[in-house]
This record gives sequence, C-alpha cells and structure tokens, in this order.
Amino acid sequence: MHRVLSNKRAIFWMVFPGFAVFCFAVFIPLFYSVFLGMTDWRGYGEIHMVWAQNFSKILFHDPVFWISLKNALLLAVLTMLIQHPVALLFAYLIAKVGGKREKLFRTLFFVPCVISTVVTSRMWVAFLSPTYGLVNHFLKAVGLGFLQTDWLSNQRTAIYALIFVIMWQGFGWAMLIYYSGIKGLPKDIMEAAKVDGANRFNLLWHITLPLLRPVIVVNLTVALISSFKQMETIFLTTNGGPGNTTQFIANYLYTEAFSAQKYGYANAISVLFVVICILATVILNHSLKRDAIES
Amino acid sequence: MIGVVKMTQEKKKRSIPLTVLLTLVALGQLVPLIWLFDFSLAKSGDLFGSNMFILPDPPQWGNYAKAWINGKIPQYFVNSIIVNAVSIGLVAVFSVTMAYAFTRMKWKLSKPLLALVTIGIMVPIHATLLPNFLIFTRLKIADTYLGLILPYVAFGLPMGTFIMTGFMEGVPHSVEESAILDGCNTRQLIFRIIFPLVRPAIVTVIIMTYISTWNEFIMAATFVADDSLRTLPYAVYNFAGEYSADYAVQFAVMMLVALPSLLIYAFLSDRITAGVTEGALKG
Repeated sequence: MHRVLSNKRAIFWMVFPGFAVFCFAVFIPLFYSVFLGMTDWRGYGEIHMVWAQNFSKILFHDPVFWISLKNALLLAVLTMLIQHPVALLFAYLIAKVGGKREKLFRTLFFVPCVISTVVTSRMWVAFLSPTYGLVNHFLKAVGLGFLQTDWLSNQRTAIYALIFVIMWQGFGWAMLIYYSGIKGLPKDIMEAAKVDGANRFNLLWHITLPLLRPVIVVNLTVALISSFKQMETIFLTTNGGPGNTTQFIANYLYTEAFSAQKYGYANAISVLFVVICILATVILNHSLKRDAIES
Repeated sequence: MIGVVKMTQEKKKRSIPLTVLLTLVALGQLVPLIWLFDFSLAKSGDLFGSNMFILPDPPQWGNYAKAWINGKIPQYFVNSIIVNAVSIGLVAVFSVTMAYAFTRMKWKLSKPLLALVTIGIMVPIHATLLPNFLIFTRLKIADTYLGLILPYVAFGLPMGTFIMTGFMEGVPHSVEESAILDGCNTRQLIFRIIFPLVRPAIVTVIIMTYISTWNEFIMAATFVADDSLRTLPYAVYNFAGEYSADYAVQFAVMMLVALPSLLIYAFLSDRITAGVTEGALKG
C-alpha cells in the first residue's frame, strides 16, 4: 500500500508536466515582470536598472493609474448595488416558476455568458452607435431624441455605458449562482415557515435571504475581484478613452506596453496589479472566514 | 386531494404574470443579439434607416457566405478546435493526476506545491501578457499553437486542480485500498480506478476550461500574429478593421463566431449550468 502511494517516480510524472507548464506560463513571467518593472526598457536597446523609480512614479505621479483604480471600484460598487440585487430577484422568480419554463428562462438568461466577449463587445459598440445603433433609434422613436448621444465616446456617459455592458454580460453568471443557491436551500424550513403562516415577503426576507448569506458573500467577492480584472470589454469598446476616462489597470498596462512602448513602466504597473489582486483576495477571504465563524 | 389539485391550479394561474414578466425581461436582455441577427440578414444600408428592426426581404444570406469566406471562419474554427481540444484535454488529465498526487499520495513537497498552484487562481492573466509576450517571442513559441496551449493549460490548471482536490476529498479510500491490495500498480490505479471515480468532476473541469479558453481573446491577440494560426474570436476583431463599412457582413461574422458556442450551449445547457455552478461555488 505504502509503496504504491509513495512511488516517487510516479509522483514525479503525475505532478511535473502540469506543474512545469504552470510555472513556465504563470510564475516565471511574474518574476520576469518584477525585473523588467525595475528597468526603463522600451522594447529595444540596452536595459538600464532604475529600481523603484517606476513604482514611485505610478503611485505618486500617475493620475491614470488612480483613475483606473477608481473605475474598478465604481464598477464593483455599481455591480453590487444594481446587478446583484436584480440577479438575486430574478433567480428567486425563476426558481418559483417551476417546470419546463424554469429551465427555459434559466437557459435564456445565461446566453450572453457563453458568447465570446469579442462578439458581445463589438455588438454593443454597434448597438450604441450614434449613427445606426438601436439605442439612439429607440430614443428618437419614443420622443426622447434629445437624450441621443455617442454613448461610448461622450466623456460623461462612456464609463456608465461601459459598466452597463459589463453588467449585461455578467448578469447570467451572478443569477445562475444565486439560482443554484436558492435551489440548494433546505425545503423543510420553507415548508415549516409556510405552515407557520409566513407570507411571501416574510419568507423571502427572514428565511431565504439569511440562508443564502454564504452564497451572496461568495458571489459578491467574485464580483469585486473580477471588477479589478476587467480588460477585454474595455479593450474592445472604448480602449480606455475618451481621454483615459474609462481606463482600467489591465488595459492601461497593455496600452503603455504595446502602444507607448514603455515596457519597463508597463511591467511595473503589471506587478502592482498582481499585488492588488492577491491582496484583495486574501483580505476578503480572511474577513469573510471570520464573518462566517461569527454568524 | 382536492385541495392539492386546487393549489396547483392556483399556482399555475398565479405564475402567468410571472411568466410574462420573465419573458419580457429575457427578451430585453437578448435584444442586442436579436438586433444583430436581424441586421446581419439585411443590406448594410438598411441600418441607417429609421427602423429599429426590419424584415429583411429577401434575407441576404449572401452576407453569411461573404463572412464565411472573407472572415476566414473555417480556418479560424479549425485552429480554435485544435488549441482548445489539446488545452482542455491536458487540463483534465493533469488536474486529476496532480490532485491525486497532492491529496492521496505521500511525499514531502505536496503541501507547498499545492499551495503554489492554488495561488495561481488569484493571478490575473493580464499580468502575464507582457512578460509572456517577450518570453514567447524570444523562445520562438509565439506564433505557434503552443504559444496559446501553454498559457491556456497553465491558467486552467489552478481551477481544475482546486475543483478536483475538493471532489477527491469526498471519494472513500476503500476502493483504491482494495485495488492496491489486488496488486494494482500506480498507473493502473490512476487510469483504471481513479479516472472513472472522478468523472463528474472531470466534466466540471472540462466545462469551466472550455468556457474560458474557447472565448479567450486577449492572449490570442497578443501571442499570435500569424493569420493562419488565429482562433475564432479574433475573426470579429480582424474583420471589423478590414471591412469597417460593410456592417451587415460584420454582423454575420459575429453571428458565425457566436454560433458554435450557442450550439454547444443549446445541446449541453444542463451540463454547462451544473458545471458552472459547481465550479463557481467551489472556486
């Protein structure tokens, strides 16, 4: 028994290939990034060490970096305040419909999530287009023509239009998680509450929601972290514009590298980006664990 | 008995407004897609009319023919299949072997290495784009299938291993113990005993990996510049640049790129729904 389960050679071949790929494409690049982040390399020529200069410049003299963080926070807050309550409500309603219709609606609401972001992003660019988009056609048709604008290029609307698109794409995920959470609730408690004469609102507010708490917490955590990781939708719609008003960290570091050729500087942003993501995850998990033990 | 019948009837009646509401919201959510499909069958000029929707008369299926050929859909599709099949397959196999070695087998480094792999879940893919672009270019694996397969596997593994270790904790030791007593060696144990046992978790891992790699765009756009190796999502981006005035054909390209995902979803929606919720709740 022991010989089979501690067969060194077998363990090596079971772990090494996958682990090597993982190190090669995830860990080694991160260390390389830390190194490049301490240089002023522009993609060609000699590499000069500038040590912490890039990092201090990003943190203290780079407004775009802070705009990117602010946008991520704005997205996180709006997602939690708008997308999630709506998703939870619809998960609840779908779970109540029952039968074939329940499955149909569950399937329909998730459709945007299975389509590539490239398709949905370009689709929204067309849909919001000032010249032929349906949104502006619709506004005109219902007599709100004065509201027409170039949604994704107007400084005042761009970030909100973008956030709307991101929420639209993510809605199905959030809803599906809540839905399965609701489906997993113990039925006997609900029945008992009904027998005790709880009305539908009481049932939702005092029984369903408290029981769903762990699912809600997980779902909101995921939402917060993925707000910081946003990139594709931005890259494919506004690319951070107009004037960096819709910039997000990942997209910012990408343009700094591939458009501005500031490889050293972009890698420094990249390093800070990883630090922020890991810190956010660790802190959230830690405080949530404590929260779970207390409640 | 009568009470039960009455209750279900009442329930049905009450659920009609609910069905109407959900139908309206679902349609509202899908309006952009419906609009896209509608105008992909129209003439490009029709978009500039005042109609929100039109009945294309006759439907311009030629747009799709043009999209199919000029958008190089068949070629990109084949590339997508190759890259995804290899990546998903490797993630599935590696996550089983790694999870098994990490949770059931006895060796010194198992805890720290598992921790390292789990940290990978937190690393955003975008932070590896620049260094990997430079490394891949230098090692000449940029512009090869490998340049996509390696990062896809690397980023699929942490989640896959995580799901798999979670699942294996629930698998009783007794089966493998008796297999070992019957004289199974390690290879037989893994491939004959463990793989069949963890099949449900393998399905979850495959689905999670499929959803993230099939639609992946930014790595594909960064690590591959050779047009003959591009994957499907890139077709949209490429075409939008080249044929920027031909809106209807652009829309047709988008529909064609979305189609395989939609078909797979239509056939496997139950499995995908189950896989996603399991993966997400455990992750």
